[in-house]
Amino acid sequence: MSKAELMESGETVAHGGVDLSGALDSLNEKLMDYYGIAVLVILWEVAPRLGWIDSQFFPALSSVFAEGVKLWADGTLLLHIAVSLQRTFLGLMGATALAIPLGFVLGGWFPRFTRFLSPLLNLFGQINAFSLFPLFVLFFGIGELAKFSIIFWSCLWPILFMTIAGVQRVEPLFIKLARSMGGGRRILLVHVLIPGALPSIFTGVRIGATVAFLMLIAAEMIGASSGLGWLVHNSSVNYIIPRLYLAALLIALLGMIFNYSLHRLEAHLIHGTTN
Amino acid sequence: MSQAGYMNNYLLRSSGVLLFLTLWETAPRLAWLDPYFVPPLSVVVAEIGLLLGTGDLPIHLLVSSWRGVTGLFLALLIALPLGVILGRWLTGLADALDPLLRVLSQVNPFALLPLFLLFFGIGETAKVAVVTWVTLWPILFYTITATRTVDPLQIKSAAALGVTRSQMLCKVILPAAVPTIFIGIRIGASLTFFILIAAEMLGAGSGLGWLVHNSAMNYLIPRIYAGATFIILLGFLLNRFLLYLEKSLFAWQEYPASWTTAGEIRPYVWRPGKGAAIAGAATLSVILILGACEVRKLNQEAMAGAGGSSGHAKHFGTPVESGSGGF
Repeated sequence: MSKAELMESGETVAHGGVDLSGALDSLNEKLMDYYGIAVLVILWEVAPRLGWIDSQFFPALSSVFAEGVKLWADGTLLLHIAVSLQRTFLGLMGATALAIPLGFVLGGWFPRFTRFLSPLLNLFGQINAFSLFPLFVLFFGIGELAKFSIIFWSCLWPILFMTIAGVQRVEPLFIKLARSMGGGRRILLVHVLIPGALPSIFTGVRIGATVAFLMLIAAEMIGASSGLGWLVHNSSVNYIIPRLYLAALLIALLGMIFNYSLHRLEAHLIHGTTN
Repeated sequence: MSQAGYMNNYLLRSSGVLLFLTLWETAPRLAWLDPYFVPPLSVVVAEIGLLLGTGDLPIHLLVSSWRGVTGLFLALLIALPLGVILGRWLTGLADALDPLLRVLSQVNPFALLPLFLLFFGIGETAKVAVVTWVTLWPILFYTITATRTVDPLQIKSAAALGVTRSQMLCKVILPAAVPTIFIGIRIGASLTFFILIAAEMLGAGSGLGWLVHNSAMNYLIPRIYAGATFIILLGFLLNRFLLYLEKSLFAWQEYPASWTTAGEIRPYVWRPGKGAAIAGAATLSVILILGACEVRKLNQEAMAGAGGSSGHAKHFGTPVESGSGGF
């Protein structure tokens, strides 16, 4: 951070002519977002080193990084990340593949039937997925299928609900317009319903992805032999504390990257469709 | 739509749920599904009745509620003042801290659970800490937003009338912010319930999550269904209750119609008054006091029993595998 700051201020000075305090102000504005995080990072490094916190329980950031480099070197870290990502994506893809068409059919073609089903669907959607986990294990065994099914189940509902809501909230004027211009079912679906419902669907997918990641870590902690959740669980059982912090940090980072990229994709796609 | 029409609509809409329940009862009975793996509804209900009768379920319910309520209270205690301060007075600091807070709020609570265990030991503190952590963020964010977005006209009028700082806070800012803050509390409470069950499954000797986990470990299949059904029902009711409370407390707020409620007419809206507030406070304090006693008793039993988890086995009279193993 400080390096970037130096470089950037150096640049403005080198350009000359610009008055310095104004440049510093704008720099301050730009860096505003990162001050809190920078302070946290510095504290994390400094506090255990100076003995403010017991470094046994709270290892400095650099030793967490060192652990990360070690695990990366023998390839296990990449394996765990890959396994976790694969599970998340599979579950999310499966849920999306089922929920979007189902949402279109329910919301678009059978609105009355949907109203009739909505209390049941609502009940399913509000089910605490953890209480179902033992049942999934019972049915699908302890392998990948149980983890897939729990992620599938928990992201199915937000995507389905948001798809139904999206389809039903398409501006009726557009539908009437398309109809009056002689658009058939296919044209109505491809050119009116899908673009109209897309923002809502995407919100559903984003919520689903967040839930999927959350559930995945819990599922891996409860029963798995690989993946980031397992890494956390295993480190805590064996008291390998830097590794525990490393895994927790990685999960937080991955979750954020996931969220951020979906936000970007959403902004990009929605922007592209409305213009 | 008349009252009868409303009832009719309601019956039609709940028939989906009824159909599902009927299917649950008949499918195992007619051997479409293996009744060993999917016990019929009546067996599950009987199991719930049995658990209620022996007093196991109320105890676990009480313990879980105590953890949830304590965590929620702690979160409120931290998040409300902090939110008002950040939203109202230290807005610059709030801007600077916002990204950090967002990052922290996105940290996966399950990944933090072992860290909390490390810091607070395996007692109740770790579970309450996780609940507090999870609940803290929605309440904090909603409080900051709520206090920030109070209509400036109201604030300016109050200032023009020469109110003091404390009056401004109590009479203008808080009343305007309360509906939004309540949304944060509602979200926090539903999250609490969600996380609590998981935390109890991962490492606890009592509570609803443990009940399900323990039944799974011992292959008591009707009991898994009973526990899960109870948790689902409880979560659903909690959610509905909080939504209802929100709607009736802040009846002047407009809510966008969703696809599930569109066209529905609310025939009667109950407005909670003083009596309801006292009843609510009494229930919460009963949960806090009785729960604290029960949790202490259970923990002492666990201490007395040989090596932690085996101490809890006597509640069900069945051997328990230590919680850390996988399925």
